[in-house]
Amino acid sequence: MAFEPPAAGLPGPGPDEGFPPAEAGAPAGESPWRIAYRRLLRNRIALAFLGLFFLIVVFVLAAPIWATHVAHTGPNTTHTLEKISVNGETKEVVEPSGRPIGPVWLGAGGKFFFGADGRLGRDEMVRLMYGGRTSLLIGFSSALITIVFAIVLGLLAGYYKGATDSVIARAMDVLWAIPVLLLAIALGTALAVGGLRIGPIHVAGNSLLIPILIIGFVSIPYIARPIRGEVLSLREKEFVEAAVAQGASARRIMFVELLPNLWSTIIVFFTITIANNMLIESALSFLGAGVRPPNSSWGSMISEGSDLIYSAPLLSILPGAMVLLTVLSLNVFGDGLRDALDPRAKVRLEVTAAQAGPEGAAI
Amino acid sequence: MKKLGVVIVAIVSIAAALALSACGSSSSGGGGKEGGTLEGAYTSYPDYLDPQLSYTAEGWTAMYNVYTPLLTYKHADGAEGSEVIPGLAKALPKVTNGGKTYTLELRKGLKYANGEPVKASDFKNAVERMFKLDSGGSSFYTDIVGAEKFFETKQGEISGIETNDSTGKIVINLVKPRGTFNNELALMFVAPVPANTPDKDQTASPPPGVGPYTISKSEPGTGWDYVRNPQWAKTDSKLLPEIPSGHLDKINIHLIRNQSTQVNEIEQGKLNWIFDPPPADRYQEVKEKYEGTQFKTEPTISTYYFWMNTAQPPFNDLKVRQAINYAVDPAALERIYSGQIAGTQQILPPGMPGYKKFELYPHSMAKAEELLKEANPSDKDITVWTDSESPNNEAGAYYQDLLKKLGFNAELKIVNPDNYFTIIGNTSTPNLDTGWADWFEDYPHPNDFFDPLFNGEAIQPTNNENFPQIDEKPLNAKIDKLAEEQLGPQQEDEYAELDKEYMEQAPWAPYGTRTLSNFVSSNIDLEGIIWNPTFETDFSSISFK
Repeated sequence: MAFEPPAAGLPGPGPDEGFPPAEAGAPAGESPWRIAYRRLLRNRIALAFLGLFFLIVVFVLAAPIWATHVAHTGPNTTHTLEKISVNGETKEVVEPSGRPIGPVWLGAGGKFFFGADGRLGRDEMVRLMYGGRTSLLIGFSSALITIVFAIVLGLLAGYYKGATDSVIARAMDVLWAIPVLLLAIALGTALAVGGLRIGPIHVAGNSLLIPILIIGFVSIPYIARPIRGEVLSLREKEFVEAAVAQGASARRIMFVELLPNLWSTIIVFFTITIANNMLIESALSFLGAGVRPPNSSWGSMISEGSDLIYSAPLLSILPGAMVLLTVLSLNVFGDGLRDALDPRAKVRLEVTAAQAGPEGAAI
Repeated sequence: MKKLGVVIVAIVSIAAALALSACGSSSSGGGGKEGGTLEGAYTSYPDYLDPQLSYTAEGWTAMYNVYTPLLTYKHADGAEGSEVIPGLAKALPKVTNGGKTYTLELRKGLKYANGEPVKASDFKNAVERMFKLDSGGSSFYTDIVGAEKFFETKQGEISGIETNDSTGKIVINLVKPRGTFNNELALMFVAPVPANTPDKDQTASPPPGVGPYTISKSEPGTGWDYVRNPQWAKTDSKLLPEIPSGHLDKINIHLIRNQSTQVNEIEQGKLNWIFDPPPADRYQEVKEKYEGTQFKTEPTISTYYFWMNTAQPPFNDLKVRQAINYAVDPAALERIYSGQIAGTQQILPPGMPGYKKFELYPHSMAKAEELLKEANPSDKDITVWTDSESPNNEAGAYYQDLLKKLGFNAELKIVNPDNYFTIIGNTSTPNLDTGWADWFEDYPHPNDFFDPLFNGEAIQPTNNENFPQIDEKPLNAKIDKLAEEQLGPQQEDEYAELDKEYMEQAPWAPYGTRTLSNFVSSNIDLEGIIWNPTFETDFSSISFK
C-alpha cells in the first residue's frame, strides 16, 4: 500500500493508515476525511463562524462594486472641501475644524455610509472594504508562506534528525527567541524606504509583498516546531519502516508517506495562522511598519482613527471590530476543524478538564 | 532651520503625570501678580539644554531667559519682538571696514548665575566651543576670519575675534560683509558661558548664564526646573534694564508624552502652561471652550510647502510647476491641519520683514489642467515624499491624490520624521520628484528663507535644503548682493520683489503658515504672555492672576 501514490484528488492519507482514526462503528470503507466532514457538520458553532468568515470575504470582495456603483469614489480619493446632500440637507464632508462627517448611512445614496475617515475626507466604507482586502490578502498569503516553509523545514528536521535537525531547530530557536512583533517592526522599518533586493529581484518599499514576506517569515518557527515534533514521532511508525525496507528514497518517505499524515495538523494550523498573521499585520500597520499609506488595511485604519479617537471613535472601532470578527471566526472554525479531524485531542482535553474540575472546586 | 520638535503622542503619560499629580501646584492658590511656581509641560525633551547646541524651538524657548547673547531679541510680541537690541553688549555693534568689522563693548560688572564675572573672552570661547561641538548653528558663523579653518581642524583659535577682558572690547572680523550678522549675534549659539564650561553637551547640567532665571535641575527624560538667578537681583538686572526680570519664583517643567493628558491637567489646574498645542483631536474643542480666557493662537514665521525638483522631468517644465500651484488648494490644507495653518501662496510668511502679500496662482483646477495639456509631460511617474508625522502625512496623501487627479501616476513615500530631511536632502536619493517640507525661521531676516532654500550655490550633495534644486543665475546674484547689505526699507522691497520672482518660477507650491498656541490654566494671566516670533513663549512674561 505504501508504494502506491495517494488516491487521486485526495490530499489525505489512505484509510488503512488510520489517521485521523476511524470512529468506532463507522461504516466500513468510509474515508477518515468523510468522517471528519460529518463531525464538522454536527458542530453548529464552528459552521456559524465559518459562515461569518465567508460573509466577511464577500464583503471585502465586493469593494470595487460598492466603490464604483454606490459610493462613486476610490479608497484613496480625498474629498476635503466637498459638500454632500444628506436627506436634502447640505453638509460638509470635513468641517473647517478638521472634523469629518459621521455615518450618514444611506442618506447620501450610499456615499459616506460610515462617514469620512478624517481630515482628508475619504469614504470610510470604501476604505474599510479595500482595507479588508489588504488585511485578508496579507493574512492568507503570509500564512501560505509560513506553512510551506514550516512543512519543508519541519519534515527535514524531523526526518533526518542529527545535524540537520540541530541546525534547523536551533535556527528556529533563535528566531523564536526574538519577540515576533519586534522582529517584524525592525524588518518593516528597514525595508520601508529602499525596498527589498535579492539578486535580480527587487520589491519596492511600499509593495504589499514586503509585509507579506515579513509576516510570513517571522511566523515560521511557531508552525515548524510542532510539525517537526509530529514528524519525529511519525517516523518511528511501522509504515515508515516498511517504506524504508522497500527501498523508498528519503524524499519519497517525507513527501509521500509522512506529509499525508500531517495534513490534518497543517489544515488546522493554516486557519489559525491566517488569524494570527492578520493580527500581526494589524499591529504592524498600526505602528507604521506594515502597509504603507495611502493604502489602507484594518490595522492602519485603526492607527489613523486613533488620531480622532475622542471626536470620531467609530473610525477606530469599525476596523477594530472587523479584525476581531475575522480573527474570531477563523479561530472558532479552526478549533471546530481540529475537533473534527482529531477528536482524540478533544477527548484528552475533556478528560483533563474533568479531572481538574473537582480538585479546582475543592480548593 | 529651527525644527518644530517631533510631537510624539504616546499612549501612556507615564511617571511624569504621576509625579505631577503628587506634587500638585503650590501656586494654584494664586496670590498676587508676583511670585508663585509655574508647573509646565513639554511633550519631548528639547534636543539640548546647552546654548551652543540647541537648534529647536523647544530648546530656545527653554533657554531664552537663562542665557543672554551679546545682542538679543526684544522681549515683545510680533514685529517688535523681531528687533535686535543690545544684550550683554552696551550697544549695537559699530560696523566698519565696508561691513566686515563689527566692534562691540561688553557691559561692565555682569556676573553669571554662579557669581563668576562675565569676560569679553567668554564670547570667543563660546564661539569656539560651538565649533568644537559641531553645533548645527556653526554655518552662521563661518564667515568670521579663521572660523572655517577652526571648524575643520578644531585647533588653535579663531583669529577673527579679538577680545580685551579689561576693557570689554570685542572686535569681530568677517571675510565678507554679512547683512544678517546682527541677527546671528543674537542667537543662543554664541551666548557667553563661563570659560571653564566643558567642551561637551551639558544638557544634564546646563552651565550658568546671564538672565533672570537659572536652570537648577535638569533630568533628561523627566523634566527640568528653574529658580530665579541669584545674581540677577544683585547686579545684572540693573545693568540690563531692557530685559524683564520675570514674575514667577520657580518654574518646573515636566515631560508628559501624552498631549491629551496635558490638556486634561491644564483643565484640572494641575498644570499651568504647556509648550505644545493641544493634539489635533482636541484642538477645536479647546479653542472653542477657552479662546480668549485660557487659549490664544500665536503666529510663527514659517512656510509649509510642496517642493518640485526643477532638475528632472516632469517638473523641469515651468508650466507643470505652475499647474501644480494652481491645483494645490490652501483652503483644503487648512482643514487637513485642523485650522492650525493659515493659507498662503508665497515664500515669505507674514511677520517676516519684506513680506508683501500676493497671490499668483488662485486655486483653479481648470487652469491647472489647461497648463498641463499645453505642457504635455512625457514622464508621468512621480514619487511624492512626506514624513510620517500627522498631519504632514495626510498633506502628502492629499497631494498624491491631487497629482493622480491631474493624470500623473503618483506614488507616496512616507519617511520617519527623524531622517526625512536627511533623505530628501541627499541629492543622490533616487526619485526625488516632489514632496512636502516646511521651514521655520532661524531669525527674522528674509535672507534666512532665500539663501539656504533657493540659492543655486547652496545646492549640496548631502544636507541640501534647496529641495527644488533651483539654480537661477540672475536670482542667485540678487540673493548674494542682498546678503551683504544691512536690512533697510529698500532691501525689504527688494526681498519682496525676489519673493515674487521666485514664485513666478514656481519651484514651490506654498500652502500655509503654521500657527501655534498658548494654553494655560485659569489662574494664569493669558493676556500678559509675550510670544516672541523667534523664541516663542517668554517665561518672564507669565504671571499668576
